[in-house]
Amino acid sequence: MAREKKFYLTKEGLERIKKEYKDLKILRLNKIKGERPKILHSQDLDPEYFSFQEDLNRLEFRIVELENILENVRIIKAPPKEKQNIVNLGAIVTLKEQDGRINEFMIVGTLEANPSEGKISSESPVGKALLGRKTGDEVVITSPIRVIYRIRKVKYFLG
Amino acid sequence: MPRTGWVLREVKNPETIAGHTFRLGIASWLLAEKRNFNVKRAILIALFHDLCEVYAGDITPFLYYPRLPKDKKERKKLLMKWARLSHKEKQKIGKAKFKKEKNALFKLIRSLEPSLKNELSSLWLEYGKGTLKEGKFVEQLNRIETLIQAIEYFGTKDILATTNWWEWAEEIVDDPLLLKFLKVIQNKFYRKVPGYKKQKELENILDFILEIGKLKRMPRTIWVSLGVENPETVAGHIFTVSLMAWVFGQQKKKLSMEKLLKMALCHDIPAVYTGDLITPYSKILAKDEKERRKIFQKWPRLLRKEKQRKFLKDYKKEKTVIKKLTLKLKAPLRKEIIQLFDKYKTASTPEARFLNQLNVLAVLLRALLYQKEDKNLPIDWLWEWAFEKCEDDVIFEFIEKLKKKFYKKNLIRRFILNFPRFK
Repeated sequence: MAREKKFYLTKEGLERIKKEYKDLKILRLNKIKGERPKILHSQDLDPEYFSFQEDLNRLEFRIVELENILENVRIIKAPPKEKQNIVNLGAIVTLKEQDGRINEFMIVGTLEANPSEGKISSESPVGKALLGRKTGDEVVITSPIRVIYRIRKVKYFLG
Repeated sequence: MPRTGWVLREVKNPETIAGHTFRLGIASWLLAEKRNFNVKRAILIALFHDLCEVYAGDITPFLYYPRLPKDKKERKKLLMKWARLSHKEKQKIGKAKFKKEKNALFKLIRSLEPSLKNELSSLWLEYGKGTLKEGKFVEQLNRIETLIQAIEYFGTKDILATTNWWEWAEEIVDDPLLLKFLKVIQNKFYRKVPGYKKQKELENILDFILEIGKLKRMPRTIWVSLGVENPETVAGHIFTVSLMAWVFGQQKKKLSMEKLLKMALCHDIPAVYTGDLITPYSKILAKDEKERRKIFQKWPRLLRKEKQRKFLKDYKKEKTVIKKLTLKLKAPLRKEIIQLFDKYKTASTPEARFLNQLNVLAVLLRALLYQKEDKNLPIDWLWEWAFEKCEDDVIFEFIEKLKKKFYKKNLIRRFILNFPRFK
């Protein structure tokens, strides 16, 4: 039997998924009842739910997708103290480049990745190159370009 | 609207956001299909992803420096590299950018019908937040498309010239297919990747994407002939038609939106090799360059047979080209593209007939916008063209709105356009 894919999420990320799942289920229930969902009047509701209102198939699909995530979720936890100098999921990695410039990334699972906010996926080339490395290590990210970093600090701020 | 990153790097005549969006739309179609994702959704996300820039501007990572030196040379030197930021700074900038772009988008779409507003905003948010797989996929592909463009602009001799874009892509791409696609790009343009396994299909998709990229640099013949400065490109026109297909196609419930969008994306791609033809009048224009404006003032009259002959000549030429252009693509995809183009040219399906009218509408709208800058721009022939080709009520309703908007104070123009010759 094929192994289910595991989804790695921070506690914060899991809360977001749970909230979306709860909201979409209310939306589905109201849709079945034929009511205009009260949820749509909520100020802080993401407009991304709006299109679900018009597309029941998509709504069902998303609910199933969220259920799959919730069934196969693994919470990202900080490693034991002696391993906190090693880059793993949830780590904030401070890197020093050869020219002295400092760069920083947080390594997360694919569902939470948002490079614009500095969160990169552990499955991206940069994420992969950093994973498992420790403070003081030199990391070379090679594609056609070569970026050489030295890991200055590894921190974990996980709840 | 040129893309800021290229302007800062002093690229001459850089691509526009519309041009970039066009190629991202095509790439999203071809690769999302291979990934078995929802292709319609992927194309729409691509079409919408940069619309916020109308008001928010093109915010590139080049601009992420908290402080920029006043000295021009120093600033230029600094702007050659991305800013290196702490996690907190990235979060702060990322959130502020998202907020600014979200507000800009909602400002832009405020007057749209609720259903359009909802679909557009939700798909845009899927892209911005990467909540659904298509949003995440197109977001990653967006960076790859930009990387390809950087390679096209700066070449591969000086590896440092494209470093930023490689970094930018490698921070985000984690989709298995797109990771392979990055390797294909690397293998094509740089030294061979160790242990590289041949990816024939992806290599051919890359070649196709590179070819159609030429449309980003190709100004539309019609505007060049009329002497318009910095005219839109063929790619820009395709973007406009695709967006219109989505806007107006909503009112045509019997039409397949996916077909309409795909048809819009490929309706002008033979121009890669044929150049931008104005069927059936290309030959007439080519003959007399100096007097072109006059020709446009008094649009040539042709007999039906003559029109037919010229149409068939261009059609044959374009058909040969589209076969050549798609030659290496997988058979079903190739067949689909050729058929979509064929149906469009011969107006032989409801989607094709509707898109033909939208194409005229897009040209008319662009002409009206240019005429605002140059009052002597002859565009009467376009009105004639529109009234000859359009028959759909949805299109006519919009034409009425165009008349009112652009000839608000010019009642004589509005009166003439209501004259039987034009209606």
